[in-house]
Amino acid sequence: MKTLGRLLFAALLASSTFAASAAHTRATLLLAASTAQPGDTVLAAVRLQMDPGWHTYWRNGGDSGGPTTIQWDLPPGITAGEIQWPTPEKFTLEGLTTYVYHNEATLLVPLKLAADLKPGPLELKAKVAWLECEEQCFKGAASVHASLQIGGETQASPNATKIEAAKKKLPEAAPAAMARALWDKASAADTRSVIFEWSADKAVTDPDFLPYTGDHFDVQSPTERLPDVDGRIRLRKDVKKPEGDWPKQLRGILTGKVDGASRGWEVALPIETAPPGKTASAPFSLGALLTSLGLAFLGGLILNVMPCVLPVIALKIFSFVKQSGEAPGRARRLSLVYALGILVSFLVLAGFVIAVQQAGQVASWGMQMQNRNFVLGMTILVTLVALNLFGVFEITLAGGAMSAADSLAGKSGAPGAFFNGVLATVLAIPCTAPALASAVGFAFTQPPLVILLTFCFIALGLAAPYVVLTWNPALLKFLPKPGAWMQRFKIALGFPMLATVIWLYKLSLNHLNKSQSLWFGIFLVALGMAAWIWGEFVQRGAGRRGVAALLSLALLGAVGTYAATRNEGIKWERWSQAAVDKARAEGRPVLVDFTADWCLTCQVNLTTSIDVAKVREKLAEVKAATLVGDYTLEDATIGKELHRFGRDAVPLVVVFPRNPSAEPIVLPPVLRPQLVLDALAKASQ
Amino acid sequence: MKRMLTLFTLLAAAATVFAAAEIGKPAPDFTATDILGKTHKLADYKGKIVVLESYNLDCPYCANHFKSGAMQELQAELTAKGVVWLLVNSVNPKNSSHRSIDAAQKEWTAQHLKATAWLDDSSGTIGKAYGMKTTPHMFVIAKDGTLAYQGAIDDRAASDGDPRTARNYVREAVTALEAGRKPAVTQTKSYGCGVKY
Repeated sequence: MKTLGRLLFAALLASSTFAASAAHTRATLLLAASTAQPGDTVLAAVRLQMDPGWHTYWRNGGDSGGPTTIQWDLPPGITAGEIQWPTPEKFTLEGLTTYVYHNEATLLVPLKLAADLKPGPLELKAKVAWLECEEQCFKGAASVHASLQIGGETQASPNATKIEAAKKKLPEAAPAAMARALWDKASAADTRSVIFEWSADKAVTDPDFLPYTGDHFDVQSPTERLPDVDGRIRLRKDVKKPEGDWPKQLRGILTGKVDGASRGWEVALPIETAPPGKTASAPFSLGALLTSLGLAFLGGLILNVMPCVLPVIALKIFSFVKQSGEAPGRARRLSLVYALGILVSFLVLAGFVIAVQQAGQVASWGMQMQNRNFVLGMTILVTLVALNLFGVFEITLAGGAMSAADSLAGKSGAPGAFFNGVLATVLAIPCTAPALASAVGFAFTQPPLVILLTFCFIALGLAAPYVVLTWNPALLKFLPKPGAWMQRFKIALGFPMLATVIWLYKLSLNHLNKSQSLWFGIFLVALGMAAWIWGEFVQRGAGRRGVAALLSLALLGAVGTYAATRNEGIKWERWSQAAVDKARAEGRPVLVDFTADWCLTCQVNLTTSIDVAKVREKLAEVKAATLVGDYTLEDATIGKELHRFGRDAVPLVVVFPRNPSAEPIVLPPVLRPQLVLDALAKASQ
Repeated sequence: MKRMLTLFTLLAAAATVFAAAEIGKPAPDFTATDILGKTHKLADYKGKIVVLESYNLDCPYCANHFKSGAMQELQAELTAKGVVWLLVNSVNPKNSSHRSIDAAQKEWTAQHLKATAWLDDSSGTIGKAYGMKTTPHMFVIAKDGTLAYQGAIDDRAASDGDPRTARNYVREAVTALEAGRKPAVTQTKSYGCGVKY
């Protein structure tokens, strides 16, 4: 009974779920030679051709999947070598990264013929098995065969050219000393970073390392590109080792694009240990360190003439003037305390940078998020600084920071000088970011000690003029006298600040879509108005200050909330023929919007019929790619594409079906949501 | 603006959660409904060993464990010892491998599944909280609620042949935990098809 049950069970399984056949990949066996001599090595190729959107796996599948296997059934005297795998594609979907082939993969295998093979025809057979995936995964298998004549001469087969082409897709042997691998610090008990240093003789874009499968360890898929050093490409990857020893070497391929073509180099890199006390993040050199510290000092010096520090210089001038009447010894001591104030503030900043750096190593792709927040935050901050310089509102730290700092500095000696130093630093921040971005960027890749030193030297640069002037009071006579001009000067300084806002706003556009960009700009205007209400009616107002404060905050809150929720829009990518082909090859339909900022119909179509909730849902459902061709400025490629569809100008919205051989669907110039929905439904079949 | 900042903090937090299941740390708690409508809360199973299995029968790797009957045998063996075995199906409803409640109930009977329950995780919440990468991907949670094992079901990454010949890490982990020991192997690389989130 039990056996019968099992039989029935097996039959049921065979008939239902597991009967799905692998109909999406075809396998064939090709030989480079039709006739070969005993002793030859003949290159065999197992060619896998996948349906659009389907993929098979590399020797290391990555997070999932598994390699294609070839089980040879060869006549005596012929032995098969290892599979030579073409360079795969790194494919990430829903946070899972795999190494795969789309469309076609030709696996090469050298077949060694024994020297004593008898002449005559031979039949070579193999069973090929693979996993093929798209939305679902299926197991695929095929028996393949090819015939080879053993004779007195070697004769290329008609497939030889295909095999030659396939050989070009194999990773090349890496020249000695092309690359090295070094241990970086551990980020967890079972995870350690490795730095790859790669000296490429030509410019390589999108460099990466694809690992072979490790024994008891796994090279994680994310790759962090570090700044190049002396023309060497540097990549950081994590190695995870749940059990056993750390690997001694890493095998895999270095990949990248050279002159637009994908290339790969096979490497086996022993992992070197960085000298103790140093991380491999940047090769240590005293010269490089001194140069960068010199630059940091210079940067600090320049900060003194930066607009946001200049008002502080005035502050300092006030205290110079006062202190010049005092004993030189006291003024000198105060100048050193002031320098200490700057130094301590910069050490706090350094601490922050180190904290971010350390946190970044735990979750390295979190940095991107922070970058966005950082840029948006800086834009808002600098807008406020500009408005403050214009006198729209005051910074009130106990009745005006300037006068407070001034009186603190004047009245209470050492603590005042210290506070002056801190204030100089705080006000310098909006300038520090743009002016010292490269220094900070450099600092991120450095060990904490170097970051500390860098910030120390910026601080020393910022403090230097003050200290020098105090120690040589004779130079003081060159300093201008304070007066009414300072108020005008302050307002004048607001304009360079506004320019900085524009620069930061431009940077923030990288993180925002079109609608978000608009609303972030409007938010900045609302921020200005809120600041004005605050300054005019709360700080300087006679009555009803509470109402004014509420109004100011309500305005900020309302526009802020509205702006912050403008993030649902369609994520457009730039149109190109290649992008359309790629998406269709992955089995995705494509919606292309050829548009221009000056084309009103285009904007109306977008807001009423394309970027609307229903269409967005449909786009997500059919996994459509959304590409935008911007014809705002003359563009020959787009012009040609418009002509191809019989249009002279935009609007043109085209939906390309997921099946690459199906005809594109051209939508009418004036759209309704239903038209787009219908086209998408048809395109996803 | 603040909302935007909050949103991004949340996103960043969610991203960290994706790989939050760590050996020796408390396993992420969850509440989920099974295909019979019953609610399961991980915290309620404190005092019992819990096995989580990411499941998708359309995946050839997963299917091989069921086709051979090996997985059902292991489920029966462990649940008989009082282990709670939860199938976690995180297939997105838009994927053709998704099972409606009705289809899932039929599959449960047809495959003679011997797990405690089949959890509907079509939102991917549990899968992402645990960092489930493949089907199958196994998690063994000790009686005190800490994660004791995560990774492959066995040391035989294949979609055919008999899984019974392999070294089964889940059985090993459960046996060790029952004897009051830490499993000899606590982490391996899971194998199978990617989870269809």
